[in-house]
Amino acid sequence: MVNDDADVVARVLAGDGEAFGILIRRYEPGLLRFATRMLGNPDAAADAVAESLVRAYRHLAQCRDPSRLRSWLYRITGNRCRSHLARRHTNDIPLSEAPAPALAEASDTWEVLERSEQVALVERALAALPAEKREAFVLKHVEGMSYEEMAAVTGARIPTLKMRVHRAREALLEALEEVVR
Amino acid sequence: MSPIDPRLQEALDGERDPGELPADLREAYARLISAAELLESTPRLSVANRVMGEIRQIPAHVPPDSPVRRMIRWFGRGRAVTVRLRPVWTLALAAGLFAMLLLPWQQGSVPAPGASEGIANFVGHFPGARSVEVVGSFNNWSRGLLHLSDDDHDGIWHAAAVLPAGTHEYMFVVDGERWVPDPLAGRYVDDGFGAGQENSLLFVRPAAAQP
Repeated sequence: MVNDDADVVARVLAGDGEAFGILIRRYEPGLLRFATRMLGNPDAAADAVAESLVRAYRHLAQCRDPSRLRSWLYRITGNRCRSHLARRHTNDIPLSEAPAPALAEASDTWEVLERSEQVALVERALAALPAEKREAFVLKHVEGMSYEEMAAVTGARIPTLKMRVHRAREALLEALEEVVR
Repeated sequence: MSPIDPRLQEALDGERDPGELPADLREAYARLISAAELLESTPRLSVANRVMGEIRQIPAHVPPDSPVRRMIRWFGRGRAVTVRLRPVWTLALAAGLFAMLLLPWQQGSVPAPGASEGIANFVGHFPGARSVEVVGSFNNWSRGLLHLSDDDHDGIWHAAAVLPAGTHEYMFVVDGERWVPDPLAGRYVDDGFGAGQENSLLFVRPAAAQP
């Protein structure tokens, strides 16, 4: 790829700040999805991702391996999310902040409505997990990371991460017994 | 919460073909995969404009290898110079150097700090290193701006710089790729990126406060 991450990082560090926009476009969707699943609130997720990206820009020279920029950005965003959750004094998303089904529109088909309802139910089941298990499940199954990359993102050891993912699956399976078919 | 069959965990970890699972486990497998797929929908949000707006207010990163900086670095680095002198001139030169050492204005190669600045000395033991430099909060973590030297090749690298008084975070970069904290710093702070790595801490006293 012509514009691989290391090339773009080199351009930014050479003074081309606008090139950072390439990295934002590349990673923003995944980071927003990750933060939304972690915080259960799109507005809080947008704040966390925006702060993380600005912080990443400021400290870009500290990214020791630009070819692993994705892990580095997820790590910064994960830390932001953890700080946000710590300020709430609990790692669980309060039920009042847990995602609710999107409002139906007249043009929505029955399939769209059913899918929207299913998404909301799965989000609620995920929100009930402790933050570490929620993070492990999302990184593994939603962001599609290997355990090695998850270790780089979270700083946790691979056996620990496997255990968290396994426990998260057990809890989700139980919660979703009657939801997803 | 009841434990689920290890075969299901293995299939979900990609270590077993899900087609080999018994029917009840295949159903559980499909349920979890469906749940994950439902979570893959991306929120219709964008923070790109907000982030770029904030970034434009921040000074751009300084390119480490601009021609001007290369020239400054070239002048700043120690170089071996061979001079052949007759004995009489050698004695005269030695006398002259001795006299210069006695002059009160001779303070070394570091410029005199202002009232709110101080001199920071960086020393590290990196035997066999080809280059050592310092990056930190005082130079926006930019490489190529503050190099340590080891003119006598004893593995002890050092540099001095005038920095604003106060606390600074820094790291050594050895051979252009290995980031290491200063083992002599004595104080460290988490680098904030969550991998348990620490930056060294340096406190620079204002020159006016130094004896």
